Amino acid sequence: MIDNIIHAAIVMTTPLLLAAIGGLVNRVGGLVNIGLDAMMLAGALAGLIVASQSGSWLAALIAAGLIGALIGLMMSLTVTRLEANEIIVGLGFNVAIAGLVRFFLKSAYGSSGTLNLPDVARLPHFDIPVIADIPILGALVSGHDPLTWAAWLMVPATAWFLARTRTGLRLRAAGAGPQAARALGLNPLTLRDASTVFAGFMAGLAGAYLSIGVVGIFNEGITAGRGFIALAAFYFGRNRPWPTALCALLFGLFDAFQIRLQGRGVPAELVQTLPYVMVILVLTVMALAVRRKRAKGT
Amino acid sequence: MAAAVSLPGEQTGFDQSVRLGALNVTRRFGALVANDDITFRAERGKVHAIVGGNGAGKSTLMRILQGMDRPDQGVVVVDGLPAVFLGPADAFACGIGMVHQEFMLVPGLTLLENLVLAHEPVDAIGRIDKAKAREEAQRLERLAGVKLDWDTPEQDAPVHVRQIVEILRLLYRGADVLILDEPTAVLAPAQVKQLIALLRKLSADGRTILFISHKLEEVLAVADQITVIRNGKVVGSLPREEATKAKLAEMMIGEILSWPTARAGTAGRPVLEISGLSASGKRGHAGLSAFDLTVRAGEIVGIAGVAGNGQDELAAAITGLGRVDSGAIWLDGKNISTLTLRERRALGLSYLSPDRAAEGLCLAAPIAENAIAGHHRRPDLSTRGILRRRAIARHVGSLLDRYSVRRASDWLPAASLSGGNQQRVAVARELDGNPKFLLACQPTRGVDIRGIAFIHQCLLDFRDRGGAVLLISEELEELIGLSDRIVVVYGGRITGEVARGSARLDEIGRLMLGGSNA
Amino acid sequence: MTDSSATSRFLSALRWQDAAAALAPLLLALLVAALVLGLAGHNPLEVYRLLAVESFGGQKRIAATLAAATPLMLTGLATAVAFRAGVFNVGVEGCVFVGGLAAAYVGFAWAGLPGVVLLPAAIITSVVIGALWMLVPGLLKARLDVDEVVTTLMLNFIAISLTAYLVNGPLLAPGSANSATPMIDAAARLPKLLPPSTLNAGFLIALALLLLYAWWGSRTALGFETRMAGLNARFATASGIDVPMLVIKMMMLSGAIGGLAGGIHALGAVGRFVAGFSPGYGFTGIAVALLGRGSALGIFLAAVLFGALTTSGATIQLFSDVPIEIVNILQGMVMIFAVARFGWIFGKRRAAR
Repeated sequence: MIDNIIHAAIVMTTPLLLAAIGGLVNRVGGLVNIGLDAMMLAGALAGLIVASQSGSWLAALIAAGLIGALIGLMMSLTVTRLEANEIIVGLGFNVAIAGLVRFFLKSAYGSSGTLNLPDVARLPHFDIPVIADIPILGALVSGHDPLTWAAWLMVPATAWFLARTRTGLRLRAAGAGPQAARALGLNPLTLRDASTVFAGFMAGLAGAYLSIGVVGIFNEGITAGRGFIALAAFYFGRNRPWPTALCALLFGLFDAFQIRLQGRGVPAELVQTLPYVMVILVLTVMALAVRRKRAKGT
Repeated sequence: MAAAVSLPGEQTGFDQSVRLGALNVTRRFGALVANDDITFRAERGKVHAIVGGNGAGKSTLMRILQGMDRPDQGVVVVDGLPAVFLGPADAFACGIGMVHQEFMLVPGLTLLENLVLAHEPVDAIGRIDKAKAREEAQRLERLAGVKLDWDTPEQDAPVHVRQIVEILRLLYRGADVLILDEPTAVLAPAQVKQLIALLRKLSADGRTILFISHKLEEVLAVADQITVIRNGKVVGSLPREEATKAKLAEMMIGEILSWPTARAGTAGRPVLEISGLSASGKRGHAGLSAFDLTVRAGEIVGIAGVAGNGQDELAAAITGLGRVDSGAIWLDGKNISTLTLRERRALGLSYLSPDRAAEGLCLAAPIAENAIAGHHRRPDLSTRGILRRRAIARHVGSLLDRYSVRRASDWLPAASLSGGNQQRVAVARELDGNPKFLLACQPTRGVDIRGIAFIHQCLLDFRDRGGAVLLISEELEELIGLSDRIVVVYGGRITGEVARGSARLDEIGRLMLGGSNA
Repeated sequence: MTDSSATSRFLSALRWQDAAAALAPLLLALLVAALVLGLAGHNPLEVYRLLAVESFGGQKRIAATLAAATPLMLTGLATAVAFRAGVFNVGVEGCVFVGGLAAAYVGFAWAGLPGVVLLPAAIITSVVIGALWMLVPGLLKARLDVDEVVTTLMLNFIAISLTAYLVNGPLLAPGSANSATPMIDAAARLPKLLPPSTLNAGFLIALALLLLYAWWGSRTALGFETRMAGLNARFATASGIDVPMLVIKMMMLSGAIGGLAGGIHALGAVGRFVAGFSPGYGFTGIAVALLGRGSALGIFLAAVLFGALTTSGATIQLFSDVPIEIVNILQGMVMIFAVARFGWIFGKRRAAR
């Protein structure tokens, strides 16, 4: 029972984690990405189609990542070069991409909402010998797909990248002090675009995980707002990779519980509100702290 | 040095020892001549101070030296030769770096990261070589004779530490000419001493420092050579040994050509009374301490002082827009200390903002709306929350005519007016409805000469009608011309008071620098 | 005299630019959508012609268009009211949900009361609930300077899940398997204007509110203060206007109108509250407010445009094989282009960065 929940929680966490890491890097670079959900949706569809056509899950993942990256690039250019408001543009991309995806489904497959293709190459699952038989640890580590492991490897990798590499340092400067970065001869807008492309790639992978990792079909509601939950995760994790990952795991756990608790008196819908309530709470607490600091200081 | 284009055949008459200089530099903005035939030479290995009051043309000159602007006539001189900078990068290629008033450091990054940003030492896989960065930081520490905690995040470092990092970063990037723009404005006295010691050390090692300031004590403490500019012109340049505070103050302030013509006012009952007012300033500024002041009906009281000596805090306390630690403010016998600005305005307070574009007017809104903002709930302009459009149009038309605002239509955006006419709209609004007290901050900043005379007359007329005026200005001429009394502030305290007629420039200058009434 | 001719030239240039600026996002969006249609093998001009005919060709179709425009007029207005005060409320969608459920609840729970009591009671409840829903982000923005964009965005999802919980649990219609409340009492229904069209009295309410908004914005002291606060908050403060209080008030007014949009949709069109109650009226409202540039007439025209796209999109899907989603593509593109070129409200936010 507990092993099942742990396993389910890890599965539900993977897409959140992938998108949250992308969004985190994007926000560090100075752009709050409201369009993650759209990128996930496009990635889910592209992943399924390529998985069916090519029979290769790796090709499917690459295609999903690329389509997300492409949307990210367009969104970023609108924000950085046309000086558009990132929130409105993000919402606009969500509306337009959702429309485009359904338009494409109807035009190309004559299907409304759901797409079920033959010969979809699903993500493989690997058991690790010995560890698989250990309770809890087995469910945590073994029996997962490569994308899940990759997602968790991305957490320390992202932390290392941001803290220790030259590009990471410059990205942080582009987000926190674009004017200073420009004065030093860096190009903060290009760095920001690159971070959005990365976010799009990660969100695309997250989408593909949902379509070829979990269910094997595409549905127009497949993301179920996970792009926004990812947003909540990196807001709550305050842009630090490990807290963000733990927050994504917590939300994944909520997700796993909520499926199990259905019909047991605990309303799933109320559990769904928790990530969003937590973001408002953390913003409030942070603002109170800032005010207390200001009152104490100068 | 390839970036700087030298002009062959042209002679500057400067020799090689002039690391950075200007030769007959003139820069005009429309009718305004910001720099008028400026020539100076900063020798290698020396601290050269450029001194001048507000609007003397210091910042324009700095922008030119740093490659952010180009002179209309004349040239920048580098190593004795003329140079043309197409941008800051060209100036930097000549080793010229600038420490801005607003520091160009990035929050969230540690001081070490800020030091190496954009010039990071890296290994083969793009990882920052922390050991090497630290080595560099330690070399710079030794060079500057300081010790810093490099792992502090920028936003947690005190302001003087951030300033040192900014200076070290310029050295790290290879600059050997440092331009510092009002570097002590953000520092406490002890930190000023530290900075001066640092700059002396750097110049002793052969670097050239250009120190821009209006604080004479600091200039005398740090500089080898001092050039004074006023109204865009060089008044004189003298070595440290020949300079005294009095001499510099006289050069800075100059002669007042047009002595006041205004009649003396007849002061009546007290209108604004301030007692024991204390307020903390921004970023460790002095703020105000135990400040007492009375402004009477029919009287203009001027506040003189070098910028940043409590004037901002005083204005913020009177309007209620800033926080007050202790003390009380009375308007016409009523304690207004805890009231909002709206309530204070209802009791007869009026406030002319020093920042016309950002606070004094709403440039995007029509002129007419700018002229009634704050009065729009008055019974003659609205009834029970509904604006009386025709009454407003009539009122605005006659008000703006009385203040001779040149405009094509009352309903064009205020941004369509010239600076002088914009300020007339603000003055018209603040004097409308016969307030009891007017707080006028920099009332003629950026206004043409005719506009200045007109606004001065408005203030005097208001006084003669029995109004009380507190005039905060950085224009000594204006203060002397208009004020019945001048109160001089320094470090958030009153250092003296001078009555009309007996106002002597040298005495005001001495009080402004912290001397006391003899 | 040269002065005044220069000014009149300036004025006419301004008007020309205004018109172009207002229409440009729409034209660009139509262009992109045409590209999508072309790629899918449709003739865009033919599709656009069909859309126009289906939305305005005849009384019945105009009635359907106006019925579809009704909630958008209100959500567009709700967004514009907040924008005008310089507050960036993207939480109107949530207000539609809570307001809709509140009105539906009163409509079925208090059944039996006479219509003159029940209908106003249901409408007022939706207004009050909508206003209260925006109280928290308003307070957080005004008192603690918490970014209202994030809080209102998050509140949307909370509203959607919370109402879904209520209609699946406590408020679920007895014997019903799907997530819906019981039908509201007939006395609580907003009267239809042109039966059988769903066009109802809610349209008149929305129209009246738009007129009121135009009058409020130009003729009242509060409207004046709101505009000043939105254009230059420091100036407004120096003029004695209590900007934080105004932010709270306008946020609640925005929520009230958003709640009303939900209430009217429940009482006029749907007749009850169901899960997935709003197909994104709040988000479309942002596009409406942007495209209408915050003016009453602009909001009306933009709402009618999007209403037309929705109704005609549904019908042409039946007659041709053009998917209705072309409407969403247009709508999203309008949002993007409306801010990409002409940041009429966002100049300040950008400058602040």
